[in-house]
Amino acid sequence: MLLLAMDLQDADAGLMLRYRDGDAAAFAALYAHYKGPLYRYLLRHVRNACAAADLFQEVWSHVVATRARYEPRAKFATFLFHIAHNCAIDFFRHDSHRRRAIPGHDTDALLQEAEVPEHQRPDRVAEFVEQQSALLAAVTALPQEQREAFLLREETGLSVEEIARITDVPVETAKSRLRYAVRKLKNSLRPMQEPEELRLRTYA
Amino acid sequence: MPDQPNADELDDYLQGDSDVSCQYRRESSPAPPHALDRSVLEAAGSLGPKAPTRSQSLAPLAFAASVLLSLALVLAIVFAPQVKRQDSQPQVVRVRMFKSEPPRAALASPRERNPALWLADINALRRAGRHAEAVVEMRRFHSAYPDYIIPINE
Repeated sequence: MLLLAMDLQDADAGLMLRYRDGDAAAFAALYAHYKGPLYRYLLRHVRNACAAADLFQEVWSHVVATRARYEPRAKFATFLFHIAHNCAIDFFRHDSHRRRAIPGHDTDALLQEAEVPEHQRPDRVAEFVEQQSALLAAVTALPQEQREAFLLREETGLSVEEIARITDVPVETAKSRLRYAVRKLKNSLRPMQEPEELRLRTYA
Repeated sequence: MPDQPNADELDDYLQGDSDVSCQYRRESSPAPPHALDRSVLEAAGSLGPKAPTRSQSLAPLAFAASVLLSLALVLAIVFAPQVKRQDSQPQVVRVRMFKSEPPRAALASPRERNPALWLADINALRRAGRHAEAVVEMRRFHSAYPDYIIPINE
């Protein structure tokens, strides 16, 4: 009940309710607010610009198509990114099935590929990573679940509980994923920070 | 195990001012392409229905036409009183001006004839059923006196 009361106070949920009731300008406001975070989440999660654009459109299409049934049971961000999470899961699953359908792979390679979808294969990822900074490269290299938890936190500012809700896992699991992601990313920043510290020490 | 994360590390991160968060926020923020924006907003009905291409291409012409019409309307309003003044001149006065003209029998050309008498002749032709001649005479009258306003009873 308390959660429901909190959600009703969510201004974005209010905008979505207005859109549900026919106010197209309310959708434009929602879109302006969330287009950047959603696009970056998808782009950095699936690591492919074309796929990210397709998924981005798919997510918003779903919002539009299901607006008549919308009820503010959670923050709008939770609602939106839950759809995005499901679209991304479908995308990864599809990608995995497509790979399995390709004949002529030996068992080891198949097993290896089953764990690493097409868009996460080292050669594909390397191409994407070349254009990124050290931190974004480290984000890209995170395991899928850790990467998603980190991106959700950074792009939406949602709590661990809400991230758990979006990704359909217990809160402890979400917390653990985020903890590992942060540790790895911190480690990735160290090589950049250490020479700076050494240089300062030398001049001191 | 140095790589095992601890709870404090996560708590620091969740407070929002960790190195990782600061660095992430400094990264470039790619946004969706404009075409994608348009496509989504159109699908949501936030851009309104897309006008047909033909109407879009005719829009400047329509604008120019409406400007010209407005201008014409303004000119008509400005010049209308002068025209009206001309119309409202007493027709009788005009007719009287020519009363002192020489008799029509002495005139050599239509321009020199008295228009009032000429019109009377034309009327006489009409009354006599000589409509074709009356029409021809009236044409000659108009060419001779293009600005002459014919009295209503003529």
